Amino acid sequence: MVCQEDNFYPQSEGLCCRVERTNESRIMAGLAILKRIYLAVYNWVVFAGWLQVLYWAVQTLRTSGYEAVYAAVERPLQFAQTAAILEIFHGMFGLVRSPVSATLPQIGSRIYVTWAILWSFPETRTSPIVSSLVLSWSITELIRYSFFGMREAFGITPSFLQWLRYSTFYILYPTGISSEVGLILTALPYVKVSEKYCLRMPNRLNIAFDNYFATLFTLASYIPGSPYMYTYMIGQRAKALAKAKKSA
Amino acid sequence: MLVTVTSRSGKEVVKGGIQLSENATVKDLKASIHKRTGKLYPERQRLSLPLVSGQTRPTVLDGDKRLCDVFPEGSDHIVILKDLGPQVKYSTLFFFEYVGPLFIYPMFYFLPLYKFVGLPEKRVIHPVQTYATIYWCFHYFKRIMETFFVHKFSHATSPLSFVFRNCCYYWSFAVFIAYFVNHPYYTPVGETQMYIGFGLGIICQLANFYCHIILKNLRDPKGQGGYQIPRGFLFNYITCANYTTEIYQWLGFNIATQTVAGYSFLVVAAYIMSDWALGKHRRLKKLYDGKEGRVKYPNRFVILPPFL
Repeated sequence: MVCQEDNFYPQSEGLCCRVERTNESRIMAGLAILKRIYLAVYNWVVFAGWLQVLYWAVQTLRTSGYEAVYAAVERPLQFAQTAAILEIFHGMFGLVRSPVSATLPQIGSRIYVTWAILWSFPETRTSPIVSSLVLSWSITELIRYSFFGMREAFGITPSFLQWLRYSTFYILYPTGISSEVGLILTALPYVKVSEKYCLRMPNRLNIAFDNYFATLFTLASYIPGSPYMYTYMIGQRAKALAKAKKSA
Repeated sequence: MLVTVTSRSGKEVVKGGIQLSENATVKDLKASIHKRTGKLYPERQRLSLPLVSGQTRPTVLDGDKRLCDVFPEGSDHIVILKDLGPQVKYSTLFFFEYVGPLFIYPMFYFLPLYKFVGLPEKRVIHPVQTYATIYWCFHYFKRIMETFFVHKFSHATSPLSFVFRNCCYYWSFAVFIAYFVNHPYYTPVGETQMYIGFGLGIICQLANFYCHIILKNLRDPKGQGGYQIPRGFLFNYITCANYTTEIYQWLGFNIATQTVAGYSFLVVAAYIMSDWALGKHRRLKKLYDGKEGRVKYPNRFVILPPFL
């Protein structure tokens, strides 16, 4: 069927409708594809990082022992965890639906432990808590990134992955959070003694920063923060299950 | 007429609806709903019409409108009620916001609080610290006075949760700034800079007060009611000149006291006020669009010439 007028295209029921195939709608379609490719690449690349973390952690535990775990996983851990900062921007610019209020505390605490504790205070690296931390984080993230990676790259959401994503957190959030708190507590005496990152007065800007106090404050923030994140995930689980039931 | 009152989920809030006279206004409806529900005083109610297809935001009903004018032709007389939660008067909200800084700041000036963080108790008090305390307290005292004697508020009330949220903002920054300006190791700026800072601050506070007087007179019942175009003084050039003077007043304080804490407060406050100013500027431009005999809103800066 052909329509007489310009810019009129055949639609269903034998009608001719005016559809604006503007340049703008072409750009929007192109951007949507670009977004999907970007997210697919992002999720699988970071997945690969966490896979390395898990592999080296397990290998080292079997051969050398827990003191050596940090040294073995340092590079892929720093890479994979720091890359997660991008996710704040994904949420801000609407690339993903996650609200910034949920991603910010999670990523904030992870970056804090990775750089401000483990990297800054080497005395903490030989603690057995590093192993529980790294195992909890890597397993959680492997599930999460493969789940999103599957969805973006292949358009499928395997129900087994979805079940893992919305069930394992029941155990892995407590173990992960306890490990974070444990490592921060381990670092506390070294924070106080070393004066690292501290800014003292007098100075022309009349500002001071006491890292020991800030670290205590960060620990305190886990008190409201942990229940908030945990109940957020429980809420997400309920939503996901309801959605799955509806489409079943 | 019979008006049905439902919640946003469709459940009937007032069983059997409310019987009102043909000339009844939205205000009368709210009074009736209050009588029937007990706890939902009119300021807690947001009444709107059911969403028409294609609408994303509901049509909120204005208090003075007559009900027969509000319902579209031939429709059921249904209103949707949203409970806005406990409400407080704006003057109450402002009072609690401002009373905190008024008392918190002088505590750091007068009381030996720094020994609790291991700092020396005895310290030299620089003149600028004394002037800063006076300036700060005068500023918040002025704000409280304006709240009760100058400002005329548009909305009657504000949600109770705003009290906690806003007090967190004002009181935390008060602690943050007072701690560093009154610190035993505080480094004062040069005398000239201090005088320039406080001079600018005082001039801008006076200008700010005059702006508030102008705004108050806009709402005078003797004058015209409704949303007016502010005129005179700095308002001829800037829509929200009251915010401009407030921002520059804080700049003056910071030039005199020079702390990261003070400047960060300035940045955050300027950001918040710019957000409000943009909204007000847009509303005024939309209302006074120059069509159908209305005045066209003059070309003015929004809040911070020459940038915005």
